[in-house]
Amino acid sequence: MSAMTRRLTLTSAGLLLIAGLGGCVAGVGYDTDVAVGYSPGYIEPFGYDYGGWGGGYHVGPGRGADRRAAPSPSHSYRNAPQTRSVPSIPHGSDGRRGHR
Amino acid sequence: MHALIDRARRLAASAVVGLGLSLAFIGAAVAGDFDPPPIANQPSTEHHVGKMIWAELISPDIVGAKRFYGGLFGWTFHDVSAERNQYAVALLDGNPVAGLVQHPMKSGEHRQPSWITFLAVQDVDAAKRTVVEQGGKVLREPRTYNSRGRQAIFADPTGAAFAVIASYSGDTPDFLAVQGSWIWSSLLTHDLDKEAAFYQTVFGYEVFDLESADGREHVILSTDDFARASVNAFPADAQHRHPHWLNFVRVADAADAATRAVSLGGSVLVPPRVDRHGGKIAVIADPAGAPFGVMEWNDADGLGEAK
Repeated sequence: MSAMTRRLTLTSAGLLLIAGLGGCVAGVGYDTDVAVGYSPGYIEPFGYDYGGWGGGYHVGPGRGADRRAAPSPSHSYRNAPQTRSVPSIPHGSDGRRGHR
Repeated sequence: MHALIDRARRLAASAVVGLGLSLAFIGAAVAGDFDPPPIANQPSTEHHVGKMIWAELISPDIVGAKRFYGGLFGWTFHDVSAERNQYAVALLDGNPVAGLVQHPMKSGEHRQPSWITFLAVQDVDAAKRTVVEQGGKVLREPRTYNSRGRQAIFADPTGAAFAVIASYSGDTPDFLAVQGSWIWSSLLTHDLDKEAAFYQTVFGYEVFDLESADGREHVILSTDDFARASVNAFPADAQHRHPHWLNFVRVADAADAATRAVSLGGSVLVPPRVDRHGGKIAVIADPAGAPFGVMEWNDADGLGEAK
């Protein structure tokens, strides 16, 4: 192996190492952002738009008395049995922990 | 002369290799030194797979974020920064509720600060395998942190980012969230069917499809017979939007919270409106633009009927 080949090999190895390091530290952010230490970087695309929520557009939980939609066989997910009522969120306070 | 040039080239090549090794060690040290704190002061023996038990804000200005969230929810903050990692734990009456992560943003750059939703799992690596098998992506590989546990960040098949955590301090017990803490999470998406199936496979959720007054599909994801999150199809004219998780903090008065958020430098994305449970919700952006929701919930109304 000539001296030039050795030097090229060493240089390539160094560059590969740097590129590999970048790959290890960086997250695959949608913003093509670079992670810094613990931070994953900005992983959401820029910009949010929340318009168009009409009167029936509900995102919150119910109180355990919500009506189920008519059964549909076309879903990819397994629908809970129609006999089951829609559960609500946990209730009651945690006396042991005060707040959580 | 040739000998001098040759020597200079050899030195340059050695320098490149040396620099690479040094950067590798520095990189490992920077990533590895930081040990995020546990998500709870008092360990719990409870495990609730699929429950949202933590959230972290990625922001270019955690000093401003502290001012905003502290003023809005009464959170206090404990800095646990190390090396290049600027991190603060948000506390509500001394109990951890969230993490704030500083991330640089150059002037004029358009990056999206956001809250990352952490869902509880028993086995992060098993979750990763399922996520990948079901068409999701790994945004941050599973990693164990000495004090906290093991966690990873993924994107679901439509691109919504979320994190999973197997917490060493257990999962938040199933009691009603107090005011100022997280009470609910919603996934907003353009493909509800695919998303519900994906999350059901990863977390074992029961899926309850709801009757809808607006013609859009809405489902509730449940584990342990408690509602954990909703999946909502975007409004009909909003299919271009990027799917994402939106977390809600319980407040006494959503309208008042929205007003105070604006006075603290935030903005209102969805004005206060009555939701399914009879109380009001609103969607707010903090001063850096990270969106989150606020939700009223009156437990005294009892279960089974809306206000």
